Amino acid sequence: MTLTKDHIGGLVFLGLSVAYGYYAGQIPLLPGDEFEPFHAQTVPDALAMLGAILSVALLVTADRTTDKKLSLSGYEFPLVGKLLLLVVIFAIALNWVGFLISTVLFLVGGYWILGERRPKTLITASLPFAVGIWFVLTQLLDIYLAPGRLFAQFFGG
Amino acid sequence: MLDGIMTGLTTAVMPFNLFMVVIGCFAGTFIGMLPGLGPISAVALMIPITYGLDPSSGIILMAGVYYGAVFGGSTSSILINAPGCASTVVTSFDGYPLAQQKQAGKALALAAYSSFTGGTIGAIILLFAAPALAQVSLSFQSSDYFALMILGLTAVAAFSGKGQVIKALIMTVFGLMIATVGTDVTSGTTRFTFGSVDLIDGISFLLLAMATFALTEVVMTVLKGQHRDEDEQMDMSQLGSMKLSSEEVKHIAPTVGRSSVFGFLVGVLPGAGATIASFLAYGLERNLASAKEKLKFGKGALRGLAAPESANNAASTGSFVPLLTLGIPGSGTTAIMLGALIAYGIQPGPRLFVDNPDVFWSVIISMYFGNLVLLVLNLPLIPYISRLLVIPRPILIPLILFFSITGVYLVSFNTFDIHMMVLITVIAIFLKLLEFPMAPMLLGFILGGIMENNLSRALTISDGSFSFLWERPLTLSIVIVAAVVLLLPPIIDLITRRKKADKTPGPEAAVSEGEG
Repeated sequence: MTLTKDHIGGLVFLGLSVAYGYYAGQIPLLPGDEFEPFHAQTVPDALAMLGAILSVALLVTADRTTDKKLSLSGYEFPLVGKLLLLVVIFAIALNWVGFLISTVLFLVGGYWILGERRPKTLITASLPFAVGIWFVLTQLLDIYLAPGRLFAQFFGG
Repeated sequence: MLDGIMTGLTTAVMPFNLFMVVIGCFAGTFIGMLPGLGPISAVALMIPITYGLDPSSGIILMAGVYYGAVFGGSTSSILINAPGCASTVVTSFDGYPLAQQKQAGKALALAAYSSFTGGTIGAIILLFAAPALAQVSLSFQSSDYFALMILGLTAVAAFSGKGQVIKALIMTVFGLMIATVGTDVTSGTTRFTFGSVDLIDGISFLLLAMATFALTEVVMTVLKGQHRDEDEQMDMSQLGSMKLSSEEVKHIAPTVGRSSVFGFLVGVLPGAGATIASFLAYGLERNLASAKEKLKFGKGALRGLAAPESANNAASTGSFVPLLTLGIPGSGTTAIMLGALIAYGIQPGPRLFVDNPDVFWSVIISMYFGNLVLLVLNLPLIPYISRLLVIPRPILIPLILFFSITGVYLVSFNTFDIHMMVLITVIAIFLKLLEFPMAPMLLGFILGGIMENNLSRALTISDGSFSFLWERPLTLSIVIVAAVVLLLPPIIDLITRRKKADKTPGPEAAVSEGEG
């Protein structure tokens, strides 16, 4: 049997619905809630049921033609992985080195990952932009941006 | 009504709001031109900016971006045959051949005039239709609302395309599931937070919208290797004249009128939206054309370009009717606007007309201005706006990524949100590879909370019985419409398949079955 996109999707959502249904049963109820027509578990229970029924329906009606098979060739997964990792690093850097430096690092990193290698472009497309945004946020819009833990430790925040 | 129009007019002509329309149209046109980014992504990118504005200005900006993005999508359809969004795919059928015949200027002008007429006719009908519908819907009760939400959700699923109905329904349920994460409003207990403090307030709408539309769409262009496409640079020197002759205007005028009204009506249907309107209008126009003219369709027919352009703009306007009067979005883009309105503390629906007349009317009035801005300012500036596209993709993509991430971060100042965005983006990419539509999920997420509230009220009133679904004639009729909307496409599909099977001779049918 060919495992098509619909089959994978159906199986994933069936698993998700079962897990969701299990955790729906763990939602704490207030005393006496079980006798009420509506409580915190009502909608989650119904959704778990509906999700399971629809997943089975998708599995049953799934398109079985071979062109519906999931093909992962031709996609640039390593590049996307690097970009998303850069986003995670940006989030961590925001806490440690503050908005300005992490923005410059993020932009330079992003340009680099996507193939830009000229140092002049890397700097001119990131530094003035980051300073500009930082200026607009902190000076014009008066938004407080934390300086980052590293600076706070050295200079006492 | 005249009072309302005056209120709307005074709000809409405030210099700041006029500025918002202009900025919105420009930003929308630019984002809409980028292949892969459509109106949904454009509007999603605007949400963080609108949080600092008052509700009317925020919605006016978003409406401007919406129109601009649809217009920008048409521009890239015509010039480089790369539609920025689904609703302008049809535009490229006849628009791109015109550009190849060195008549790009004429095609762009025709698209702009048709869009303007479609948008304006749509806005005029909206001016009368919206208040009328809002008055009727004032008598709605919680059971009717619940039924309406069901109708909205099923309609989006039903219109999502052939063979996609179950997938769209699953995504709707997925969206509803995500909406249950956090504190339950009725009982105060936490659900699906797994002990995380960051999840007690639930997942924010902004985060979900930005991750599934802005971030995912940009990452998808990288995933597909589209960031390397350098051949998409437009040649602005070959635009040609932007003038239309009076014969040409006469030739397309009936088409534009027909398609505008038709597009508006399709747009009003919850879930149908601009894409379906443009496809249907194109089909309708081809059917109405003479046999000789029919041959021109697909090779640069002016009617073939005018019909979808008028229809998609009129439908964009039409999709505001269910949003403003019933609180049910007619398209993915209006779903995002609904979320933004709720974030402002404004509940779109029948009460909007009474409680926030300034928002209600200024949005409608600003649509006229939006259309005017597109025609008067955007059209002549197209060669200049499209020059922005010359910015190399390796530079543009990190910048868009930066705006989507910081847009969310600057609202919550919590880096957990950025990690959450990455997680949701990974899930969204996986789902997109499996061909699951994203818009139903967002709609389910937005309507989830309101739906649970109304269900809770209706069930409590009827003492736990589901009889509220058929006891009130109004609720019953909405439920019946929802059932018909949901069941009709599969039934039609089944009948056509049977008919086809009857017509095809035995051996061929056996072959096709054997392949499965």
